[in-house]
Parts: sequence; C-alpha cells; structure tokens
Amino acid sequence: MDDSKTLNLNVRKDFPILSKKILEKKDLIYFDTAASAQKPNTVINETNDFYKNHYSNVSRGVHTLSVESTFRYEDARKKVQKFLNARSENEIIFTKSATEGINLVAQTFYEKFMQKGDEVILSLIEHHSNLIPWFFLRDKYGVVLKFANIQPSGEIDIDHFDSLFTDKTKIVSLTHLSNVFGTELNEKVISICKDKRVPILLDGCQSAAHLKIDVQKLGCDFFVFSGHKTYGPAGIGVLYGTENLLSEMPPYQGGGGMIGDVSLEGASYAELPAKYEAGTPPLVEAHGLGIAIDYMNKIGLDNIIEHENEITKYAFNKLNEIDFIEIHGGDNKRNSIISFNIKNVHSHEVSSFLDVEGIAIRAGHHCCQPLMKHLGVNSTARLSFGVYNSLEEVDKFVIALHKCKEFFNK
Amino acid sequence: MNDLINDLYQEIILDHGREPRNFGECEPHNKSADGHNPLCGDSLKLTFLLNDQNIIEDIKFIGEGCAISLASASLMTEKLKGKKIEVAEEIFKDFTNLVSGSDEDLKVLNEEDSLYALKGVGGFPMRVKCATMAWHAFNQALKD
Ligand SMILES: Cc1ncc(COP(=O)(O)O)c(C=O)c1O
Repeated sequence: MDDSKTLNLNVRKDFPILSKKILEKKDLIYFDTAASAQKPNTVINETNDFYKNHYSNVSRGVHTLSVESTFRYEDARKKVQKFLNARSENEIIFTKSATEGINLVAQTFYEKFMQKGDEVILSLIEHHSNLIPWFFLRDKYGVVLKFANIQPSGEIDIDHFDSLFTDKTKIVSLTHLSNVFGTELNEKVISICKDKRVPILLDGCQSAAHLKIDVQKLGCDFFVFSGHKTYGPAGIGVLYGTENLLSEMPPYQGGGGMIGDVSLEGASYAELPAKYEAGTPPLVEAHGLGIAIDYMNKIGLDNIIEHENEITKYAFNKLNEIDFIEIHGGDNKRNSIISFNIKNVHSHEVSSFLDVEGIAIRAGHHCCQPLMKHLGVNSTARLSFGVYNSLEEVDKFVIALHKCKEFFNK
Repeated sequence: MNDLINDLYQEIILDHGREPRNFGECEPHNKSADGHNPLCGDSLKLTFLLNDQNIIEDIKFIGEGCAISLASASLMTEKLKGKKIEVAEEIFKDFTNLVSGSDEDLKVLNEEDSLYALKGVGGFPMRVKCATMAWHAFNQALKD
C-alpha cells in the first residue's frame, strides 16, 4: 500500500483538475479515466506554448513558424512510433480519434481487398465504434459480419472464434482491452489470425495507457487508439498499420497534404503517412499527445501499470466482499476497469449519488449495447483508474457505496 | 444527506420508481410510441386510448429504466388519465420547463402537483433526459 501511496502523492499534483472541489466542497475522486483521462500540467502548458510561440500550419510553408510547427508534429509521430514500437514512422497515421481510425480501415480495406459476401469477424464485447463502421460495409456492400461469443469471464470464446473462419474471412477487428470488463484479449486470438493469414485490427482505446504496447510483438496488423484516453488532448488519434497494408489500401479522404502531384485530369498520392492525412491535421493536439507520452515515460509505464493493477485488485476484492454488489465478468485479471451493479439500484442512481459525494464514475451502456443485452442488464456502473488514483480513494468510494445502497433501499 | 440528492430523490419518486403505477399495455389502445434514451439504453413503450371527445381514457407504459425515468412515466400516466388532449399538451410544456429548471411561467402545473417532485432533476442536467423520456414518447404518439 505504501508504494502506491508514494506514487500517487507524486503525481496527483501534476493534474490541476484534481484540486477542483465538486459542488464547492467535495474533493474530486476521478474514476472515469476509461471515458477520458485527465491532463497533466505538461500537456496543458505545452499545448498553450505551441499556440503562443510556435504555431502555424504544418508541412506547407517554409517560414520559421511553419518549420517549428512541422518539427513538433513530426516529433510527436516519432514518439508514438516508439510508444507502440512500430517499425517505422510511415506506419503511424494521425487521425482525429480511434473511431476515425476504425472507419478509415473499414472503408479503405474494403475497397482494396473485399467484395460482396466477404466476411468480417467481430465480437459481442465491441464498442459501438468497432461495430458501426463494419455495419456500414454490411449495409452498403453486402459484407457478412460474424460475432465471436464471450465466456462468462468476459473473454472471447476461442473455440467459437476459431469456428467462424471461412475462406471468405477477410479481416478480424477486436477490442484489445474491454472497456466494460477490463479484460485483455487472449494472445491466442491473434495467433489464430496469423495462422489463417487474416489481418487483425486491435481497438487499443483502453489498452494504450494501461498495458505496454508492442505492435510487433503483438503481431497485429492495425492498432488504433485515442489521445484523450492516454492523458493527451481530445481530437487526436492514432492508426498504426503495417506498411504493406497501408501502401496497398487507397487513401481515405482527399484534400491538401495527401497528394503527390495534381492536374485537372487527376492526382497522384503522397507517400505514407501523408497519404492518409488529408487536410490540416490536429497539429497542436498531436504535439500534446507526444507530451502525454513523455509524461507516461517519465513516470514509467511499468510503474503506472503496477500502480493501477494494485488499485484494481484492491477495489475488486473490496467490491467482491459486498453482498449487494454484482461484478460483471469473472475473477480473471482486470486492467484498470471494473463494471458492477448495486442490486436493485439503477446505475444512474449510483452515479448521481456518488457525484454529489465528489466521485465521478460512468453509468450507462458504455457504447456496448449488444453486450449489455447479452449480460441481461440495460446499464452498468463502471469504475476505471488512472495514474492519479489511490487506495484511499477506493476506501472512500466503498463507504459512499454503502451510503448509496442504504439511501435507495430505505 | 446532501440536499441535491434529497431534492432529486423525493419519497414519491423513490416510491413510483420502485412500484410504477399504470404499468402495462392499454387494451384496447389507439395511440402508442416508444421512448428511448440513446445515452443510457433506457426505453419504454407508451400506449393510450383517446376517445372521440379527445379525452385520454386510459394510459399505460412498460419499460426499463432508472428511478427518475420510471417515476416520471408513472406520474405522467396518473396525471394524464382523464385529461383532454389540449390540457395534456399544456402539461407537457409546463413539465418540460419545470425539469429544465424554470418554474416561473407555468400555466397549469403548480406546487401541489405530484409532478412537481421532479423539479430536483434541474440540479442534474444530465438526468433531464431521464425525466422527459416518457413525455417525449407521449408527444410522439400524438403526432403519429
Ligand atoms: C474500447 C473502445 N473503443 C473505442 C472507443 C472510442 O473512442 P473515441 O470516441 O475516442 O474514438 C472507446 C471509447 O469510449 C473505447 O472504450
């Protein structure tokens, strides 16, 4: 407990919002990092500094400010490349979000590699962001979608997953870390895809700041995440794709910056990564993401993960002891996320009640309505942790939960 | 206990949330609509029977939701049963104002009304949609 306290004490002051009082008197306990993480001072100050001292458009002009902006934007790409351990900067495409990354892959992969009747494998636990872009392919082009079942633990049923493959399966797209259960995708799933030579996209929204990511070791073909969940700004996201695939797929949007040469008869396209970055990119946000990565590296991703694991385990055990709490999923390892319900109390009530105590948790379907249906609930409450949380906060949360239960069952 | 929470969850809300009145489907009915809150997945189905004098003879709902959405639907059905459509529409307008935090220009609702218990929702802007889900379904049914 002492170690994590020290770590917590050191970083809490880095996040100015954490000194905000909720309803003017309650200390903020922020347990909603899975929805969006809070921002450290360095990210806030550095993005400010960008606007004050270095701002211009990127990759366009030759003047000083353009050079400074371009340097920062491209430097962020290098940081992301190292963060994911991609082979080359050409494999790092800046998007506006993970959602945009998935849409980009669905559209352009279809255009190059698929036709009517071809199949995509997804699963029951996917976020709407990893469902709807594929629904579009089903609705527009007659692509067939198959959904892997999950086990009671929240993990994908490997045998069922394996049985879904046919010679028409063209791509698999799955969440790397479930935003409802906090469980990590079984590596076997990726090796099955490798064996069958079917590319796999990992939705890394929840894993990027909570697991150590090495896309080469993972062996995934695409990996997407959002800057705002990794202590960076909203409005910037990352798509990693292997150079092979990204080179073969067509561009996503057309516009400035993604062209080689244009005449009125047609255009050639820029090399990677510019090919997929039409228009002025979210350059300051990209820089902010780079600074967020620096921040995580400074504390040490291993330390962050260890700290979060400890809190998650502690919270899980505490919740597990309470008879009026139902935790969704099994006893397997969770990474910074726990979904639960108070029996007979709707998650909205829990969230509003805790809000007044200064505790921010998420309530609702977490953009996973098919999964909610499968679980037989229409919403859950969700706790999620970040680098700034502590065991003491969990203790306060547990006390508030008891008060909440008492209030609604009086 | 915090005032905001006590205002939001008055006894009558908790009671109607736990045991919604007029829960079920009207048979026969000639008006119906589904209410849905895409933010949280809560939903309900409203059915009612409008007679030839434009009076709501019977009105019921079924659904799943939080205490606020269930209590609001339940109190709505109690309030609207036996009302003429024109009056019901006035109540709808008043109610929408009330839960968005303005109770100044109310035409037909007053503090004696049980619906007034939902005024506390104004302190939780993200919950206004819970309170208005049934009412929007009602409004939708009139239009269809
Ligand atoms: C697993 C998962 N996938 C995708 C998303 C979508 O992220 P964004 O809205 O930042 O694109 C989220 C965020 O809630 C998520 O948790």
